Amino acid sequence: MHYAVETEHLTHRFSEKETVLHNIALQVPQGSIYGFLGPNGAGKTTTLKLLLGLLRKQSGTIRLLNHPFETHRIELLRQVGSLIESPSIYAQLTAHENLDVFRRIYNCPASRIPEVLQLVGLSDTGKKHAGRFSLGMKQRLGIAIALLHNPALLILDEPTNGLDPNGIIEMRELLRRINHEKGITILVSSHLLAEIEKLVTHLGIIHQGRMVFQGTLEELMQKQQQAAFVRFETSDTSRVLQLAAVHHIPACIENNGAVLELADRETIALLNRELVAAGIGVYSITAGKNDLESVFMNLTSV
Amino acid sequence: MQLAFINSFSSEWLKKKRTASSWLVIIGGLFIPVILLIARFVNSERLYSQVIQPHFWEKQVNQGWQFMAIFLLPMGVILASSLITQLEFRNNTWKQLHATPQSFPVIYFTKLSLILVMLLQFFLLFNAGMIITALLPSLVMPGVPMPYEAFPVLYFLKVSAYFFICCLPIVGLQYLLSLHFKNFLLPLGAGIALLVASLIAVQWKYGYTIPYTYCMMQFIQGKTTWNGYNIHLFALGYFVMFTVAGYIIYTRKKIKG
Repeated sequence: MHYAVETEHLTHRFSEKETVLHNIALQVPQGSIYGFLGPNGAGKTTTLKLLLGLLRKQSGTIRLLNHPFETHRIELLRQVGSLIESPSIYAQLTAHENLDVFRRIYNCPASRIPEVLQLVGLSDTGKKHAGRFSLGMKQRLGIAIALLHNPALLILDEPTNGLDPNGIIEMRELLRRINHEKGITILVSSHLLAEIEKLVTHLGIIHQGRMVFQGTLEELMQKQQQAAFVRFETSDTSRVLQLAAVHHIPACIENNGAVLELADRETIALLNRELVAAGIGVYSITAGKNDLESVFMNLTSV
Repeated sequence: MQLAFINSFSSEWLKKKRTASSWLVIIGGLFIPVILLIARFVNSERLYSQVIQPHFWEKQVNQGWQFMAIFLLPMGVILASSLITQLEFRNNTWKQLHATPQSFPVIYFTKLSLILVMLLQFFLLFNAGMIITALLPSLVMPGVPMPYEAFPVLYFLKVSAYFFICCLPIVGLQYLLSLHFKNFLLPLGAGIALLVASLIAVQWKYGYTIPYTYCMMQFIQGKTTWNGYNIHLFALGYFVMFTVAGYIIYTRKKIKG
């Protein structure tokens, strides 16, 4: 498989005592929309800054579009669009002028400016200075800057930060469209799974500077199935464990209740019937949360 | 490399549109000529005798530099040099700039070139303003003749070139400081402190070693040497030293955005 982004043993320290990234092995398949998830402070922005050379690499390797970043920095940055943290725009300039500032560096045709303004829905901003834009408009202008030179890879750090629900949906649609229509690989970070689970094809989950999951959305779904559990509160917990063993269901005791790894409703009903028939009082049967968010929370809980 | 520099410079030139530094160049360059022009109209009875005096043009340009050289020019250079890099800090744009396909030398020397071109723009406006100040009363006021002497182009160029060289150490050090410190007050404060120190130390026998004294020395002495030392060589030496030091500090920065 070809990877648009590939890192190996990427480790970064801000000081002797503070290691913020441990052996990060990021693999972003070409043409994918890769969601880079993790709670605030997990190391997402540090990783993305390292990918763009905004932080000096200390150890490990970084390859973008099949080339080592260190030796091909300028050549690679010509094919990468980025938006890191808050959008970088010159407040005293209009949207058109802001794009022109970067167009001159990328040396791309002037016709790209109205095209990307149209794409992000900022065609009508006229002479309004970017400093007076709403946060959503600034964010969209940041995306326009990242898209200006038709990049092969887009690196976006929390692009939906500060957007209202409509803005988030619009941003999601925009990213999906440019991925489908232009085949641009998108690496997008977020701290909320719900925000990007409908968008991404691949996921990487980082927690406290370590990758705790990497794979397709389907693989995460499988984990979700595996993570499903039911809690039985009864008058005899040990009997529940015995019954679980008979049915080959993994189980354990937690807070005086029996926790069984299963999701099948019929099996839950069967166990309940058997417990009642054996004269055991069943006080409650609680299904554990098994949505993607819970899986994410489980993976990223200390 | 050359094309990258031209593209980068063109981008930087657009970036400074409507900024405080671009207004500073225009207002700073024309401030003294406008004040002198108003003074000439107010004291119009002395105009005739001034215009027919020998060395009229030389006196004219020196009158302008008299107000400019000691404080306004160094102060303007301190402000403009610091504001150019402040633009990136204030807008949080260093990270975007460093994620563009430009080498670090191109980014560093383009910004420095922009400051130098703005300084040239300032000198151009100042000289144009001084010429207009000299000619306008003769054009609009009856009885005031045009200056008798030919306009000494070379003298204007020479004086401006000397002051330009004297400004270079200030540009170099202010650029170095402003690239390094996010807080605008630090390079500005350091610049003002050095300027005040220079005002005090200009007559000191080792005053020529202080990089911010050369504009004052140039005005007081009017020539290349000060107590036998070539201040222009000192100025150029300091400029090269600060530029190289600034470049090393800039490229070795671990965080670029």
